[in-house]
Amino acid sequence: MKQLKGKAYNLNEVIIGKITSKNDLFATKKDLIYVTNNGDFPNGYLAVITSNKDINKGTSRYIENVENIFELHDNDIVTVDPDGKISIVYDINSKHNAIFITERCNSNCIMCPQPPVKQEEDKLNLNLKYISLIDKNAKSIGITGGEPTLIGEKLFDILNAIYNRIPKASINLLSNGIKFENYEYAKRFAQAVKQEIVVDIPLYSDIDTIHNSIVRTNSFYKTIKGMYNLAKFNIKIGIRVVIHKMNYDRLPELSEFIYSNFPFVYHVAFMQMEPMGYAKDNLTDLWIDPVDYNKELEEAVINLHYRDMQVSIYNTQLCLLPEKLRRFAVQSISDWKNIYIDECNNCSKKQECPGFFASSKTVHSKHIKSFNNVENN
Amino acid sequence: MSYQILPYRFERIKENVFLSNEVGEHLYLTSDDFNKFIEHRLEPEEKTFKDLKSKQIIADSHLDDVIEMLAIKYRTKKNFLTESTSLHMIVASLRCNSNCSYCQVSKKDLSDVSFDMTKKTAKKVVEKIFDSPSSNIKIEFQGGEPLLNFEIIKYIIDKAEWTNIFKKKNLEFVICTNLTSIDEKMLKWLKGHKVYISTSIDGPKELHNLNRPLHDIENSYDLVTEKIKLCREYLGRDSVSALMTTTSHTINHFKEIIDKYIELEFDSVFLRSLNPYGFAKRDKHILAYPMNDFIENYKKGLDYIIEINKQGKFFAEGYATILLTRILTPFSTGFVDLQSPAGIAIAGVIYDYDGDVYVSDEGRMLASVGDKKFKIGNVEVNSYQEIFNSAYLHELIENSIAESLPDCATCSYQSYCGADPVRNYSEQGDIIGNRTISEICNKNKSIIKYLLSLLQKNDNEINKVFWSWITRKSF
Repeated sequence: MKQLKGKAYNLNEVIIGKITSKNDLFATKKDLIYVTNNGDFPNGYLAVITSNKDINKGTSRYIENVENIFELHDNDIVTVDPDGKISIVYDINSKHNAIFITERCNSNCIMCPQPPVKQEEDKLNLNLKYISLIDKNAKSIGITGGEPTLIGEKLFDILNAIYNRIPKASINLLSNGIKFENYEYAKRFAQAVKQEIVVDIPLYSDIDTIHNSIVRTNSFYKTIKGMYNLAKFNIKIGIRVVIHKMNYDRLPELSEFIYSNFPFVYHVAFMQMEPMGYAKDNLTDLWIDPVDYNKELEEAVINLHYRDMQVSIYNTQLCLLPEKLRRFAVQSISDWKNIYIDECNNCSKKQECPGFFASSKTVHSKHIKSFNNVENN
Repeated sequence: MSYQILPYRFERIKENVFLSNEVGEHLYLTSDDFNKFIEHRLEPEEKTFKDLKSKQIIADSHLDDVIEMLAIKYRTKKNFLTESTSLHMIVASLRCNSNCSYCQVSKKDLSDVSFDMTKKTAKKVVEKIFDSPSSNIKIEFQGGEPLLNFEIIKYIIDKAEWTNIFKKKNLEFVICTNLTSIDEKMLKWLKGHKVYISTSIDGPKELHNLNRPLHDIENSYDLVTEKIKLCREYLGRDSVSALMTTTSHTINHFKEIIDKYIELEFDSVFLRSLNPYGFAKRDKHILAYPMNDFIENYKKGLDYIIEINKQGKFFAEGYATILLTRILTPFSTGFVDLQSPAGIAIAGVIYDYDGDVYVSDEGRMLASVGDKKFKIGNVEVNSYQEIFNSAYLHELIENSIAESLPDCATCSYQSYCGADPVRNYSEQGDIIGNRTISEICNKNKSIIKYLLSLLQKNDNEINKVFWSWITRKSF
């Protein structure tokens, strides 16, 4: 997520609050963080963020000398660390807002862009506070990690809080599905869900050994059992397939496997790898130029499309895709890390193109080529 | 390499081997690979190993999980069993104003209302229908010409809808009619109910009139096509579908028949062979043709339809659509003739005008030539349990399970096909039947084989057409 940096005063723990730039006398200020470019310093706010420095406001809580404060908008939600790091956890202008449940994970994927941690502080209260601040008109919210189900029953508290705050929003939960192998957990999860939800689960191969060597745990059949359990309770399931050298060659077989075993899935997404974290560390084992798996990708996408399944291609630049696949490409990269490279400057399709991960700036296909008004096939 | 081989069936086709399993997953191996496979010589790195594993024909670990996945697919494929019985056919009247060459069941005396279903019987029929545990109920009016007893159709639809207020099933109605006697008054009434029309068009005017003349008018074609338009006006564009029956007169004219269906704005045709029942059986020498002639013409007709679709026009062939759904999807199909256990009484059942209950329409037709072998009760005498849970019906069904029938048991097309005891009995005099001389086996195997050969080409254009039929969507 997008982060700003300043110098914090009188801050002993992480706080979370909603941004406002208007000093409204009648507002409940204890959850609001006031942002200012001027010298004003109203009282009663959770904190004040300012671009000024050396403002000396005694025991008040404030963060000064913050650069780029124009990046903060009214109704954004931010966390502030005692060391002055401001993280925009909820960007009012973004469609990709998520609640980050935990950094722990029970998988250890070879291409994980955000490698898991072993220990962390409990995030539950902070997240419940976060949910209570979310814009009431929000149409969607993600739940992500790490592996969100690792907090067990507390995940149901999160679901409950979301329902109380934004009952009409649709939830997108990213999970590896392993925990749902437990029928009782799946059942209690389904009972806790009271609004639209899609649980997106990664399945990297139709062959257990290949999937397991990617997630680096012995979990293929656990994930499958998890999907069946969720399906029993009519929870919508999406399947996510990150493509790299270890699994691209069986994408057509995987598409048939998905249809014949999980015809109930709501959506299947084929995703270009984000070259960050472990993916970057293991790049030589994983990297294949996306153009070089187009044949397999095309067969898989068309297979599912013919079978009346909803299918998308995430994170993939339009110029790399054969023409008949471009309609499946989705602008899926979170705004704050979504970039375009120099070659894109003159491209006539830039507006509709998913573009790149920030981390793809140096690691990307050799075949990026801007569309001009004359079609380049 | 240690792996287990799970149940599968196979057939050698030229230099390749076709393999399929209990849930319809299939693939082709070369003879060499097939030998390696059965001799446990495949290695996990080989593509063939992975392909067989992906289709759950071999397993090298987690056997319980693999079997559970197969079990889920098996339940899905056999799902029609949990929907028993969903198709309920009712003979509203045996009278008919039509004089079709291949029909034997109808009574030609139009004034003899003793062949009409009475309200008393109809009431019992509806009660029986709603005793069915199925959540989907389709009531199909047959004849004779059911519209000649429109009063009973109205009575049954009304009563069924009333009953359904409490039963809350997915209820729909179909009237199988030659349409010649439908009028605006009837249509105005039908408009308020969920009614579909299934009619018969045997081809262009001359062919249709040859197969399906009326008593008093030779040219039934003009009348039917005009009434189709009227039905579409009142009941909606998709409310009317049509069937054709192939006779010796029409067998060489599939192309013209297909063109006519398109001209009449139907989006599918069902190329149907003659059933060996009733008049058709008696007049076999005039109307019948060798099954192989039908099969050859069917293939040509199918090719022609595929070409039409390739030009961008959505137009499906009904039988191929059902078979392709069985071959390519994990789902079960509702078609009663392709089920195992056979669909008799558990997928579809028919109530004759006098309340007699038969396991299928063909069972009723046999009764009309004096053989009541497939009668399982009468709505006025017997309870639902007595009709649908009798030792006799159990015996019929237990002998109609393709998985255990001679030849079917080892047939690699088994999961796409089904058992048809009534047909076996009618052709050969016993419900189990001998597949090597069975016409229906020949037909089904030949058509399935042909469809598989088209699929094996992995031609994107053909696949696209087939999937558009299965999903009823144009891409």
